[in-house]
Amino acid sequence: MSPKLKFPLSGVLLLVLLVPILAACGGGTASAPVVETVVVTAEPEVVVVTATPSEATDSTTTPPTDEPVGQWRTPHPILSKLEVRQAIAHCTDRRALIESVYPFLEDDQKDALLMNTFLPQGHWALAPDDKITIYEFDPEKGKALLEEAGWKQEEGSSVRTNEAGEPLTLKFTTTNAAFRQTWAAVLEQQLLENCGIQIIRTHAPGSWWFGSTTGLQRRDFELGAFAWVGQADPGGTTLYACNQIPLPDNNWEGQNYMGWCNETASRAVIAANNTLEREKRIEQYHILQREFTADMVSLPLFNRFEAAAASNDLVNFRPNPTTDSILVNVDEWELADGGDTVVLGFTQEPASLWLVVEDAAVANSASGLLKVRAVTSFDYDYQPAALKELPTIENGGTVLTLVEVSAGDTVWSVDGEAVELAEGVEVINADGEIVAYDGSPITLNQLAVTFEFPPMKWEDGEPLKAADYELAYNIDCNEESGAISLTVCKSIADVEFRDNGYTITYLPGAQWAEYFAYTLGTYSNLFTVGAYPSHQVLADGRKLADVPASEWSTLPEIAERPLSYGPYRLVEWQKGQRMVFEANPNYYKGEVAIKTLIIEFFDDTNQAVAQLLTGNVDVLGSETLGAGPELETVLAAAEAGQIQAFPLASPTWEHMDMNLFIR
Amino acid sequence: MTNFLIRRLFQMFIVVVLASIVSYALLYIAPGGPLLGLQQQQQGGANRITEADIARIKARFELDLYMPVRFTRWFVGFPKEPIKIGDQVYFADLQVGCATTQTVRLRYPDGRVEFAEICATPVTLADLAGRRSSNGILFGDFGLSQVILRDRPISTLIWSRLPYTIALMGISTLITLMVAIPLGVYSAVRQYSPFDTAATTVSFIGTSLPTFFFGLMLILVFAVLAKNAGLPYLPPGGATANRDYTIPFFGLFELTVKARSFLDMVLHFIMPCLVLTFVSVASWSRFIRSSMLEVLRQDYVRTARAKGLRERLVILKHAFRNALIPFITLVAGILPALVAGAAITESVFNWPGLGRLLVDALNRSDYTVALALLYVTLVLQLVGYLISDILYTVADPRIRLS
Repeated sequence: MSPKLKFPLSGVLLLVLLVPILAACGGGTASAPVVETVVVTAEPEVVVVTATPSEATDSTTTPPTDEPVGQWRTPHPILSKLEVRQAIAHCTDRRALIESVYPFLEDDQKDALLMNTFLPQGHWALAPDDKITIYEFDPEKGKALLEEAGWKQEEGSSVRTNEAGEPLTLKFTTTNAAFRQTWAAVLEQQLLENCGIQIIRTHAPGSWWFGSTTGLQRRDFELGAFAWVGQADPGGTTLYACNQIPLPDNNWEGQNYMGWCNETASRAVIAANNTLEREKRIEQYHILQREFTADMVSLPLFNRFEAAAASNDLVNFRPNPTTDSILVNVDEWELADGGDTVVLGFTQEPASLWLVVEDAAVANSASGLLKVRAVTSFDYDYQPAALKELPTIENGGTVLTLVEVSAGDTVWSVDGEAVELAEGVEVINADGEIVAYDGSPITLNQLAVTFEFPPMKWEDGEPLKAADYELAYNIDCNEESGAISLTVCKSIADVEFRDNGYTITYLPGAQWAEYFAYTLGTYSNLFTVGAYPSHQVLADGRKLADVPASEWSTLPEIAERPLSYGPYRLVEWQKGQRMVFEANPNYYKGEVAIKTLIIEFFDDTNQAVAQLLTGNVDVLGSETLGAGPELETVLAAAEAGQIQAFPLASPTWEHMDMNLFIR
Repeated sequence: MTNFLIRRLFQMFIVVVLASIVSYALLYIAPGGPLLGLQQQQQGGANRITEADIARIKARFELDLYMPVRFTRWFVGFPKEPIKIGDQVYFADLQVGCATTQTVRLRYPDGRVEFAEICATPVTLADLAGRRSSNGILFGDFGLSQVILRDRPISTLIWSRLPYTIALMGISTLITLMVAIPLGVYSAVRQYSPFDTAATTVSFIGTSLPTFFFGLMLILVFAVLAKNAGLPYLPPGGATANRDYTIPFFGLFELTVKARSFLDMVLHFIMPCLVLTFVSVASWSRFIRSSMLEVLRQDYVRTARAKGLRERLVILKHAFRNALIPFITLVAGILPALVAGAAITESVFNWPGLGRLLVDALNRSDYTVALALLYVTLVLQLVGYLISDILYTVADPRIRLS
C-alpha cells in the first residue's frame, strides 16, 4: 500500500524553495553577540502604596520628573527643564491656533474649544480653574522663564541660545494631515516670533507616527502632537501612571509617551481608577490635573470643532459629542412634514454589522439600529435608556461584597489580569490600596451588578430570553471570536442569566469605574442590552447557538443581516450604495414614527454635502462632515436657513506632548 | 497560431507570477493595517490590550507570518499545515513567522551594546493547521476581505460592484469610440481647418482638465446651483436615488422621477459618463488624428489617389485601416479598464464601481481586496494585449502570428 500524499509534488518543491528564504527571514547576526533579555525579573517585594493621596499633598515634595526604574537615563537637555516647558505653554497662542483651522467660528465658539487640562469643558471630573495652573498666552512671561533657564536671545538673533551657544531648537513631530499642517505652521511662527524658540516640523505619515514599532510608541520625538478622544470616563492610567512609560524594559507597553513620572499624579490616577465612588474619583482627578498642569509635560491645545447637519424637517435630532452615534435617540425622531423616510449619509460603509470584529463609528451607528441601548452617554456622563435606572451601589442595583481571599483563589490583579493569588501578586484591597500578597488573607471587594430590562422581542416575534443573553456572553467573550480586548470578560467570575436580564459577578479585586454601564453588549462596543437570537436557524440549517465563535464573523446572518430587537430591522444592504432599514413592529417601545431609514455611503464629503443641499440626504453626522471646508459650507447653508446645523466641541482634543528623556 | 497562443499563454503565466510577487511585496511593506488604530486609543482599564491580544489579532490576519509564506498562502493556498506522508509529518517545526517579539540587549565581544528585537514566540508550520486560508488566487479564490467587508468573501464585494463598472465604462468606451474615431479622422483630413482647430482646443482642455475638478464643477453647476435656481438639474451622484424626486422644467412642467426607475438610473449615469467620455474622446481623437496624419503622407495613399480612387475610399480603406494599428494597442487597455473602472470619477460621483472599491481598499489598508483587484486587472491587461496582437492580423493582413 503506497503512502497517501497530502500535498502534490509541486507543493513539496515550493516548500523546498521556501525553506532557505525563511532561514534568511529569521537569520541571526554575524558577530554572535551575547543576548541579554531586558525584562526585569527581580524578586517581588510587598509594597504598600497609599492609594488616595490627599489634595493637600504638597506636590513640590515629589520632583516632577523622577526617573523611574529602567527609564531612558538621559534627561532631555532642553525639555527636562520645567521653565522651558512652561515657557512653551506661555508662548503658544492657542486661540490663534484655533483661528487658523476654524476661521469661520464665532469668538464664543472658539473659546468653547480651549482646553487647560486633559479634560474638556463641562466634564464632571474637570478641575476648577483655581486648582490647576493655567497658562495664558503671555510671551513676556515665557521669555522671562527662558531667561531663567539660561536661554538668552542675542541682539539680532531670532533664536535663543544657551551659554554654550547651542540654539533653542526642538524637533516637532506630528502627522501629515492638512489640518495639523495648518495649525503647526502657526505654532512654529508663534514660538519663534514670540519667544525665540525654533521648532523644526516633521509631518510624518500616520502609519509611522502611530505604528506599533515606530514614532510615538518608541518615543521617537521631542515635541509630538496628536489627539486623544475624551470619554465620559476619564481613564488616564495608561497615559499618566509612572509604570506606563513605553521602554525597552517593558517591551514598549504603555502610552505615557512623555516619560512623565510624578509619583503624586501617578498615585492619583491609579486611585481614581480604583474607587467606585464618584466624589473620591473627582478628588483624585483634581489632584492629577493639578500635577499635570504644574509640570506642563503635555500642552492641551483645543478640542476639535465638528458639526452635524439635518434637513429642516427633522425633529428631535440630538447629536452629542460623547454618544457613540447620532442615532442613539433615533426612536424619538420625527419629520415635521409628516414624511416617513429619512436618509443619512455616511462616508464609510460598515465593514461588518458584528461589532465584535468592527468598531468603526459607522458600524456602531448602523448596528445600533438593530439593538436596544441599555445606557446612553450624553454630555460626558451616563444615563439609563432601557434600564429604569443605572444599577449603582447607592441604589442597590450593584452589590459590593467583602470577600477574604487566600492563596490559590482567582483574583483580579493590579496588572489587569485574572490570576491565582500567590505571593507577590499585587491586588487592590477593600480599602482601595495596592498591596502585594504575602501569604496572609486579604479582603477584596467583589462586585455583582444586576441589569433588568423590560420585555423585548426579536423582529420575528420571539421574546428575548436567558439563552439569548447567555449566547452573547459565550460568543463575545470567546477568544476565537476575533474580539481585540477581552479584559472585562476575563474579569467576570460568573453571570446569572434570567429572561429579563442578568447579574454579572466580577472576580474579587475587579473594580470597573463604569460597572453600572458594562452590560453584556459592552463587549461588542456599545452599551446595548447584549443578546443574540439563540433560536435563529441559519441558511445552512444549523442553529446559531451551535455555531463555533470562530465562524461568527463569516456568517451572513451575523455580519450582513443580523436579526434585530432594536427600533429598526435591516431589509436591504446594497454593497457600496446603501442600507435600507424599516421600522421594527416588535420594538419594545412600539413602532417608531419614521418608518424607513436609509443609510447611503459616500466616499467623498463633497458629494455628501451636495446630496444634503439638493435634498437627497437628510442627515450628515460629524464623522461624515469631518473638519474640512465642507464644514463651512454646511454652516453657511444653515445660516441661510436651508438646513439645520449642530455645532459641537468634539471630544477629540489636540495636544502637544513633551518628551522628557532621550535615548 | 496555436504555437503562438501556447507561447503567449506561458509568457502570460510567468508575468502573472512575477507581477503578483512584486505587487504583493509592495503592499506587504506598505504601512498601515488592522493594528494601526490601536495606538490611537486609550488602552487602559477595560480597553487594555495585552501582548497576547495583539498576537491573536496578528494571527487572525496572518500578520505574524513571513512574507514568502503569506504570499504563497495567498497565491496558491500553500502551506496550510505540515506535510504529511502516511503517518509521517514533515517540517512541523519549520519557523514560518513570529507571533511576538522581544527587545533584548546585545552585548558584542568588543564591548558594544545595542538594543535589538528578536522573535520571542515563533510560528511554526504546525501552528498553521486549523487557520483559515484561501485556496489561492491563482485558482480563483480571492479569500476574505480584511477591512471593507471584514471576514466576508472578496468575490461578494467584486460581484456587487462589477455590473456598475461594466455599465459605466462599457457605455462610456462605446460612446468614446463612436465620437473619437470620426473626430480624429475628420480632424486629420481637414488639418488646420477651423473644425480641426476647435477640436484641438477642446481636446487640450479635455486632456489637461483633472477629472476630479471637472466632476466637481459638473456637480456644482448641474446639480447644486441648477437645483437652487429652480432649473432642471441632474442628481449629484450615486447610481440611483433613495426616494422619488421632481425636476422642474422652466415652469412649464415638472418631471417626477421614481427612485430606482430606468429614468432615474439614466439621470444618475449622465454626469459620470460625460466626464469619462469627454476625457477619453479628447485623448483618443488626438491619437487617431496623429496616426491618420502619418498615414496620409505615405506613398501608398498618394498612389491610391493617383489611381483615381474616390477620396472617401482612400481615407477609409487605405489610410484609416493602417492608422488603426497603433490605435489597437491603445484599445488593448479597454478590457482591464472595463473592470478596474475609473477610480477618481467613480469616487467623485459616488458610483458604486470597482474603481471606487480599489481606492477604498487602499485608503483603508484592505490589502487583500486591493491585491485581488490588481490581480484581476493584471490578468485582463495581459488578455487585452493578447487580443490586440490577434487584432493586428485583422487590421493588417501582412502581420502573421507564428
